Amino acid sequence: MAAADSSSAALRRRDLCSRGIRLAGKMRSDVVHLLDTYVERQGLDASASVAVVEGVPAAAAEHWDEQTGTQRLLENLAAYRAFRALLAQMLEEQREQLGEADAALGRALAAVLLQVSAFAYHLEELLRLESRGPPSEEGAGPPSPSHLGLFERKLWGLGVLRELAQWAVRSARDLRQLTKPSPGGSSAPSPAESP
Amino acid sequence: DSHIQYERVGADVTMKCGSMDWDAAVTWTANGTDIDESHLNGSYLILKNVDLTQSGQYSCYEGSSWHLKYQTYLRVGTPPKEPVLMCRSNNYPKGFYCSWHLPTPTYIPNSFNISVIHGTREMVCEKDVFPKNRCHIRYLQLFSTVKYKVTLTVTNALGKNSTTVTFDEFAIVKPDPPESVVAKPVPNNPRRLEVSWQNPSSWPDPESFPLKFFLRYRPLILDQWQHVELSDGTSHTITDAYAGKEYIIQVAAKDNDIGTWSDWSVAVHATPWTEEPKHLTTEAQVTETTSASTSSFMPPPTTKICDKGAVVGSGAVAVCWTAGLVLAAYGVLFI
Repeated sequence: MAAADSSSAALRRRDLCSRGIRLAGKMRSDVVHLLDTYVERQGLDASASVAVVEGVPAAAAEHWDEQTGTQRLLENLAAYRAFRALLAQMLEEQREQLGEADAALGRALAAVLLQVSAFAYHLEELLRLESRGPPSEEGAGPPSPSHLGLFERKLWGLGVLRELAQWAVRSARDLRQLTKPSPGGSSAPSPAESP
Repeated sequence: DSHIQYERVGADVTMKCGSMDWDAAVTWTANGTDIDESHLNGSYLILKNVDLTQSGQYSCYEGSSWHLKYQTYLRVGTPPKEPVLMCRSNNYPKGFYCSWHLPTPTYIPNSFNISVIHGTREMVCEKDVFPKNRCHIRYLQLFSTVKYKVTLTVTNALGKNSTTVTFDEFAIVKPDPPESVVAKPVPNNPRRLEVSWQNPSSWPDPESFPLKFFLRYRPLILDQWQHVELSDGTSHTITDAYAGKEYIIQVAAKDNDIGTWSDWSVAVHATPWTEEPKHLTTEAQVTETTSASTSSFMPPPTTKICDKGAVVGSGAVAVCWTAGLVLAAYGVLFI
């Protein structure tokens, strides 16, 4: 019975990972299109540098290949919960700023927000299969950009979307690591090994 | 004293004979050959508008004693032009390499210094032994949105120049081409070719960082390529090949999510399977053969009426089979 439960959980995990990888791929594609639309509608330069902004989860990871499966899931979940709140703020900002004048941007933002929410749920499901389950959501949420000037808020939005695009790529990689046979999901070759 | 002296192409060069006075009697040689006095101003050697052919060893001898008073090796060259620098990751996620070259030679030794900055962090790019103008760097972080800034400075005795490239982690990912591409005919299938290949050996972890592939093929007689994109697997069966035609096939690779396509692999050639043509025998032999046959249907030997060279397109295969069947029917009549 225990063996059957364990193999059933493993199958469920594999299935969630596969679907999650596809979801991450679709999400990334949509975020990249959203970025193009956002840059155009907000009159920004696509190559503009954006400083690291507090509250936007950075996808950058050191020793990424050494992370355990649980670490990967927890970091991803924290990120997508934050993006869910950030995108909701962006959507509200966009509606206040442009109202119905830019419905296309609003729809694109809403569609990505939906995918981010779905992905967060997916990650929670995966964590439930681990013994620890998903952590409860932290109350405060990310800081609002309302104190920023109009142009700074546009750049802030650009930073959010760029970081989300990176996360979508990272998440697919994280989930592939989870599907690997080793228990920690971190059997990728370490950087120290020569090619 | 022996020196090395670097001078620009087109420069006027004055060489003094060591500590000898201007009015001392001296002889100058270039690579052992005496230099005409017309090039001397006192004991100074004057070379106007030097060119590359004037590189060499210059020696100055005291007039009467032929003591060597001064020697220098003149190297004529140019200061470096802006170098060409490119960076690429063919072994993602391990790291990337940068390689460079000068657009035109300087004809004198150059030294290269490369700096890599990622945000506020300066990274070390370790120079490769081979090829010479290349260095590699290990990623300390993955999935960063912060761009890398790589500056290469080239310096020689006549000047310096530099160039900077800026890129993000994903943009420079370009795998090496797929390896061991093999294309084989499929027995009894005149329109199929089975193609297989392997991931490039430089790609360290295809399981976690899978590659997708692009296959292109065409018959040698046509210029137009057919393309197929394959999101997984390292094999593909072409099912629309022209019967009997030799094909050229290549494969390229790309990370599933990021970066650019590799160069095309080495080309392989293959021709789809064709049936071996049967040879005609005399009518008597056909009669003898068929009268001895059992009730199972056996088409008699036929002449080679379908010339392989004349076959164009899949329709021709049906024509050849039809002719064979007609002859077989004649054979059956004699059973």
